[in-house]
Amino acid sequence: MNIRASFFLAFTAVKRGSKGIVIMTILIMALAYVNIVFITSIFGGIIEGIEAEAINNQLGNIVITPGVDEKYIKNKAIEWIDAIPGVVGSATHYIDNAIISYDERNDGKDIKSGNWPVKSIDVPNEKKVTNIHNSIIEGSFLEPRDRDKIIIGKEIAGGHGGLMEEQSLGGVFVGDKIDVQFSNGIKRTYKIKGIFSTKGMQAVQMVFVTKKEMESVLNVNNWASEILVKIKNTGEEDVVINEIRQLGFQDEDIKRWDKLMGSTESASDSFGMISIILGVIGTFVAGITIFIIIFVSVVNKRVQIGILKAIGMGEGTIVLSFLMQALFYGIAGILIGISFMMFVLYPLFLAHPLDFPMAWVSLKITANTIMVSNISLFMASLIGGLIPAYNGVKKEILKLIKD
Amino acid sequence: MIIEVKNLKKTYEGAVPVHAVKNINLNVAKGEFVAIMGRSGSGKSTLLHQLGLLDTPTDGEIIIDGVNLVSLSAEQKTKFRLEKLGYVFQAYALLPELTALESVYLPLMLQGVGKKEYIKKATKMLGEVGLKERVHHLPCELSGGEQQRVALARAIINNPKILFADEPCANLDSESSKTILNLLKKLNEELGQTIVMVSHDSEDKKYVERVIWLKDGLIEKEEKVS
Repeated sequence: MNIRASFFLAFTAVKRGSKGIVIMTILIMALAYVNIVFITSIFGGIIEGIEAEAINNQLGNIVITPGVDEKYIKNKAIEWIDAIPGVVGSATHYIDNAIISYDERNDGKDIKSGNWPVKSIDVPNEKKVTNIHNSIIEGSFLEPRDRDKIIIGKEIAGGHGGLMEEQSLGGVFVGDKIDVQFSNGIKRTYKIKGIFSTKGMQAVQMVFVTKKEMESVLNVNNWASEILVKIKNTGEEDVVINEIRQLGFQDEDIKRWDKLMGSTESASDSFGMISIILGVIGTFVAGITIFIIIFVSVVNKRVQIGILKAIGMGEGTIVLSFLMQALFYGIAGILIGISFMMFVLYPLFLAHPLDFPMAWVSLKITANTIMVSNISLFMASLIGGLIPAYNGVKKEILKLIKD
Repeated sequence: MIIEVKNLKKTYEGAVPVHAVKNINLNVAKGEFVAIMGRSGSGKSTLLHQLGLLDTPTDGEIIIDGVNLVSLSAEQKTKFRLEKLGYVFQAYALLPELTALESVYLPLMLQGVGKKEYIKKATKMLGEVGLKERVHHLPCELSGGEQQRVALARAIINNPKILFADEPCANLDSESSKTILNLLKKLNEELGQTIVMVSHDSEDKKYVERVIWLKDGLIEKEEKVS
């Protein structure tokens, strides 16, 4: 095999061949590449969005709940969690299932009510862990001193474009008063201070009161029904969990956020599977595209192939020249595709994320995504170019030359 | 003898088998300029294809420069074609994307010759066939006669033992034909190049030393041309 001769033939074929076809072929490969990366990264973005929603608005990175047969976490070490390296903050919640009702006309008739969990928040700490305070669509977030005020999710409020209007309070707004009857029988009336909306369905079916208010209702002090812990680097939860255990949280149940995703986790898994399938299909399409291009080139050049064989060029050298052309198209397509993804699509979606029902979605382009896509398109070009070239040169010289 | 052919047969299988070459025995001496002639369908080009390793005989032996060609593997045949044989086709057979210079130095590149060397040799060769001013022209920018001269230069750049020419003037006007045939004659007389040429034009006899006449796949007669 004469690599120099192969390169020479490939170079002159591209240089002196039809510029239009060369450009079109490279564009097709670039599109195939963008297709592969885009699909993978949009699904990656969806999964990341779902996970971000779960972490930022519902679960934090780590969730600590009471041990078996315990109703509350009473561990004094709660206040030391924030000191663990890597912890951004921790938020304690009391949780109580309550009946919430709204009498729009205040006449005891046509009362809308439902069963929802009421959570208490320690306002300054809550802001370190969740993003609810940035999700207010009407009114404002709670202040630590608020005792008769409440914030509710839009699915409970109703009238704010939610998906569960039938089960809501029928449309309450900031300033309206709602009644909350707690599980211990205590009934309080709260003024709605704010209504919030997040992408996660579970978060928007909650109401929040201040910690002080809840402690007065439940007659508890400095305990918690759950503790959410936010860490700097998602992925290092197990290290922090270990540290939490060493603080003295031996009996409590401590879980990573991903273990609590429930149906959301299976949705993420499904998206991941779809992404892989579509990525494989995209790779096949790219491979078949280059196969067709090289096949047509080989057919059009069969006389030339015959001539090259006749003058003493080995089949391997000829095949390699076609392969080099295929790889040129593939690599050029990759380079243009990467540039388009990184300098056009990625910033575009970052600035204008897609509004999916479950999350705001931008493109999640990782080094792994790029590497796998590069290898896929490279291999597709290699195989797509090799097969027609190999089959083309195998024919007898005279059959090739006789046009 | 540089070419020895013994009991050569070539049959094309099909619904009705075609016995293009039936049983040919011939020899060509080193430095000889031989023409193979005959009517259309007599088996001239088929015979040349067997000798030039462009096709595989059905039966028989071909010994060129002491090597039995029939026993060679595909790779060995490729190497033999590159190093020992030169071939000029009827339809020039130039690669449309290569300039005259590139076409001529390609066989040298395949032999592993260095770039400076192969450019120098190819340029000189094109000068010898009268194309010094056309080295950077593509085939589409050359006349038929010029293209065939490029093909000739390419065929002899590697100093082949034998040059095969399959109706080299069939697509040329009389003037260009004369130029090509004179070049072949010059190669034979001045450099001792062994040439086997297929032609259907009996006028071409005057350029060769011997004519082998084929008829229906067999040698009808041999004619010495003084």
